[in-house]
Amino acid sequence: MLSRIAESLYWVGRYVERAEDTARILDVHVHRTLEDPAVEEDAACRGLLAVMGCKAPEGALDSADLLGILAFDSASTTSIAGSLVAARENARSARDSISSEMWECLNATYNALPGVVARASGGSPHAFFSYVKERAAILAGLADSTMSRDDGWLFLILGRSLERVDMTARLLSASFGDGSGQAELVTTLRCCSAHEAFLRTYRRRVEPDLVAEFLLLDRLFPRSAFHALDQAERCLAELDPGAGRAGLDDEARRILGRARTDLEFRRVQELVADLPGHLASLQTCCSTAGDALARRFFRQSAPQAWNLEVAGGRQ
Amino acid sequence: MTWRVGIRHVTGYEYTQPVTSSYNEARITPISNDRQLVLESEVEVSPPASVYRYWDWWGTLVHSFDLHEPHDELVITGTSIVETSGPPAAPESPATWADLADAGTRDRYWELLTPSTYVPLDDGVREAAADLDPALDPRETCEAVATLVRELLTYERGTTTVSTTAADAIRIGSGVCQDFAHVALGLLRSRGIPARYVSGYLHPSAKAQPGEVLAGQSHAWVEAWVGDWMSFDVTNGSEVGERHVVVGRARDYADLAPLNGIFHGGPAKALGVTVELTRLA
Amino acid sequence: MGDFLDGYPLGTGWDEMFDGSGNPRTPYKALYEVLQSLSADDFESRCAARDHAFRDQGITFSHSGEERPFPLDLVPRILSANIWPTIEAGVSQRVRALEAFLADVYGLGRIVDDGIVPRRLLTSCAHFHRTAAGIEPPNGVRVQVAGIDLVRGADGGFRVLEDNLRTPSGISYVIENRRTMARVFPELFASHRVRPVDSYPARLLEALRAATPAGVGDPTVVVLTPGIYNSAYFEHAFLARQMGVELVEGRDLVCRGNVVYMRSTDGEQRVDVVYRRVDDEYLDPLQFRAGSVVGCPGIVNAARAGNVTIANAVGNGVADDKLLYTYVPEIIRYYLDEDPILANVDTYRLEDPHQLKAVLGRLPELVLKPVAGSGGYGLVIGPAAAPEELERMRHVLMADPRGWIAQEVVQLSTSPTQIGDRLLPRHVDLRPFAVNDGERVWVVPGGLTRVALPEGSLVVNSSQGGGSKDTWVLAEPGGARAQPRPKPAAPRVLAPAAASSPLDPGPAVAQAAQQQQARSC
Repeated sequence: MLSRIAESLYWVGRYVERAEDTARILDVHVHRTLEDPAVEEDAACRGLLAVMGCKAPEGALDSADLLGILAFDSASTTSIAGSLVAARENARSARDSISSEMWECLNATYNALPGVVARASGGSPHAFFSYVKERAAILAGLADSTMSRDDGWLFLILGRSLERVDMTARLLSASFGDGSGQAELVTTLRCCSAHEAFLRTYRRRVEPDLVAEFLLLDRLFPRSAFHALDQAERCLAELDPGAGRAGLDDEARRILGRARTDLEFRRVQELVADLPGHLASLQTCCSTAGDALARRFFRQSAPQAWNLEVAGGRQ
Repeated sequence: MTWRVGIRHVTGYEYTQPVTSSYNEARITPISNDRQLVLESEVEVSPPASVYRYWDWWGTLVHSFDLHEPHDELVITGTSIVETSGPPAAPESPATWADLADAGTRDRYWELLTPSTYVPLDDGVREAAADLDPALDPRETCEAVATLVRELLTYERGTTTVSTTAADAIRIGSGVCQDFAHVALGLLRSRGIPARYVSGYLHPSAKAQPGEVLAGQSHAWVEAWVGDWMSFDVTNGSEVGERHVVVGRARDYADLAPLNGIFHGGPAKALGVTVELTRLA
Repeated sequence: MGDFLDGYPLGTGWDEMFDGSGNPRTPYKALYEVLQSLSADDFESRCAARDHAFRDQGITFSHSGEERPFPLDLVPRILSANIWPTIEAGVSQRVRALEAFLADVYGLGRIVDDGIVPRRLLTSCAHFHRTAAGIEPPNGVRVQVAGIDLVRGADGGFRVLEDNLRTPSGISYVIENRRTMARVFPELFASHRVRPVDSYPARLLEALRAATPAGVGDPTVVVLTPGIYNSAYFEHAFLARQMGVELVEGRDLVCRGNVVYMRSTDGEQRVDVVYRRVDDEYLDPLQFRAGSVVGCPGIVNAARAGNVTIANAVGNGVADDKLLYTYVPEIIRYYLDEDPILANVDTYRLEDPHQLKAVLGRLPELVLKPVAGSGGYGLVIGPAAAPEELERMRHVLMADPRGWIAQEVVQLSTSPTQIGDRLLPRHVDLRPFAVNDGERVWVVPGGLTRVALPEGSLVVNSSQGGGSKDTWVLAEPGGARAQPRPKPAAPRVLAPAAASSPLDPGPAVAQAAQQQQARSC
């Protein structure tokens, strides 16, 4: 398929996942600040902005400011609204490669965005987060039921999986701050829609080590970092069916595979002992894998400016 | 009297950063026509590229090629051997002003009578043309134009650039052969005489011995239609004869730039052009 | 009972629905009945359904940088089975003649030597691309797609307003308008036999495949778009999807050694036919504007070398130049030895001093058009123009007579159009689309009817805020409802389908069959 289209689909996957995961992360944050009066709002906001890789503005910060930056700013692709705009923009240029239903879903989301944002900034962010999660779920459902399992599908899922690894790492960074209590961990699980799955899996009370294990290592839960890494790797393997018997010439697959085995064969205690370090290396892995992908599949699809040569031969 | 002339034309670019792709067209190969016969011609490109040839609307032979490996220099070498002939006889019954005003004639030569990229017929050009004696007939006017251009411009390198138009050159008061040709075209066209730009080569010495390799230049002169085509070298104030080799004829330099191209990458600097001309016989 | 049509004011021009005494014309009788029976609420809810469908599907048109839903009026425009054959034959004739003209002017130039069309008309035309001379299209077709704009005068006859042979747009709206109407007004289609328009993409693909360079068996066809910010991007994506081919941008293409490839995730893939919706001037930065980032450098020489087909061909603009338009009747006679089936609107050539003088004396009565313009930009309508503007135009025309033509005002026909809660007469035109596969010129039954929404306005272009109508060509009474479908493009010969096995009837019946079989043995 066209490199440019592949790149667009990859980014549709990434942006939609980013919008959804950001909504989940912000949901945790809003719950915490509402439920626990002891939370230092300014510090919590700054901490979260740092985790999301955003520069914090000067002056005291409250949750409304935070939502302004990470939820409603339609001009920035680190915010929910901006990610949805960017997803729709990418889908627009790949319109002939996705189903009409998927396009209509993204387009309708885009059209509804100003109204939804206006209502949410008036005071009910939770409804906004639910809306975003629901739209992402609808899109995923439509993709699943209407998209051929061709390269386009693989790039969409690849983007979604990579972003999910990255965002899960960020969510954990945000949740395992200083002295996270039982309540926050439960909220974190809830926001990943993982609370019930967790309970069914462990059948005991929520503990930090278990939460980290579940969200990083669980083989079956689709939002775990392991599961997402594994899925990204499978996509790459399918995209490169001719890979030889020995070694790999696909740099992205090498990077992801290493990250996966690094998680897979490590003890939970080791992971938890240096959680920030492991989360940081997961994020690095996502970005280097992204670069490797771009080099291999998307190279040169940016518009090129042509320079006119100055003709010689004047006498 | 005929001459056999060998031509070797080397031109190109160097780039400050490697260029990853470039597309080019070269118009540096002489054509066979009523006055000259091309015996051999070849264009070579370095770095090597496969070269595609075609004749454009104006009858010029174009060599086109593209490069996709990083390179920081592009060199194009055109070599040819051409038999040329002496100055043609003057038209036997030159056209009158009435002949030139004829609707059919004007329609046929419309694009050689109207402004073109380098030859705007603006006030500057028209004012200069006002100095031509209206009592002269078209053929005599051509001669007067040749004289007038040499009064308007002095030959000097570096005062004009590749984007200088006829009107600019008149204002500047100096220029090189292209500027001389463009100004002549402006004067002729504003008097209603169809006129075209000729791109080619000029062998530098009338007394050259066969086999002697001389540094020459790519050159430009004009042709005017006065019942028949009449050529004259405005820059040198001379006839066009066996030392002149034609590459192409068109509206102006824009149709005949020796090397024209686009590339993706760092800024380009034109390499010095070298033309070696050898009288072979 | 609806009262949308109560007090519908009839003007002096031709109204599509009503005759001079206010009775519905025959083809409109059934539609009239339906409209009369609709309640205002019902109509309203159908409008809402339409708006919803268009917005969510992103059927949009960029207007001055803003993305708007393409405006569809819910009252269709109907063309009877009697009038359509004339339009079809007239459009096809024009396309054939202009094909011949293009082949001639980029070749030997016979028509110029024979003095039918002045050489000057070509050499002074901004769209006469000398670089296109010598490019031979593989099957001789330069106009794969044409859009011929027609208007209907007070006498009910159609005339040609202009030809569009470069990258005419609007066909996607024709097809989407029909789909939307069928969704919103299904009962209308039950009471009318409307000829379908949706075979267009298949016809286009067939025409593009027919133009494949020599020696290519199964060609790769692509649609080349300037990108998502182009006003007609929706259409580009639509056509690519409907034809099942890649929609590419210039940056997806790379030309090496005069062969065009597209960059894919599996490496470079050769491209044989490019249906381009990028203007000539931006198509190849090597030949035209060096600064273009939407083109593909080298593609023109690749076409010259016969390795790729550019459709429509480079340089077609010389044949839809508005000054050349005035010569089209002679062009038809010259190449086809036929009389024009569709007349031109009366037009004056301002390069002729006599005509210029006459026109300058009648500026307030005439329409002035820039020859290079399209989309209604630069148009000056004398009767509607301020005196200062006409005075300014006087100087413009005297300074640049080649740049303009003058036309008699055609009182465009009107059609009932929803304005608020009423149906009022608004001016309409018609753009039928033709596809030329080299064997035959096929005309879509119908076309795009554009509506000038402001009262009295004659400017219908969607780029100028016009609307559109679904356009129905009624099938001949007793004729086939559907057009014969075009042959599948490839493979050309399909093995006759074997008789299908019966549906699995389930256990009970199967047993019965077995028993029968057993008995017959």
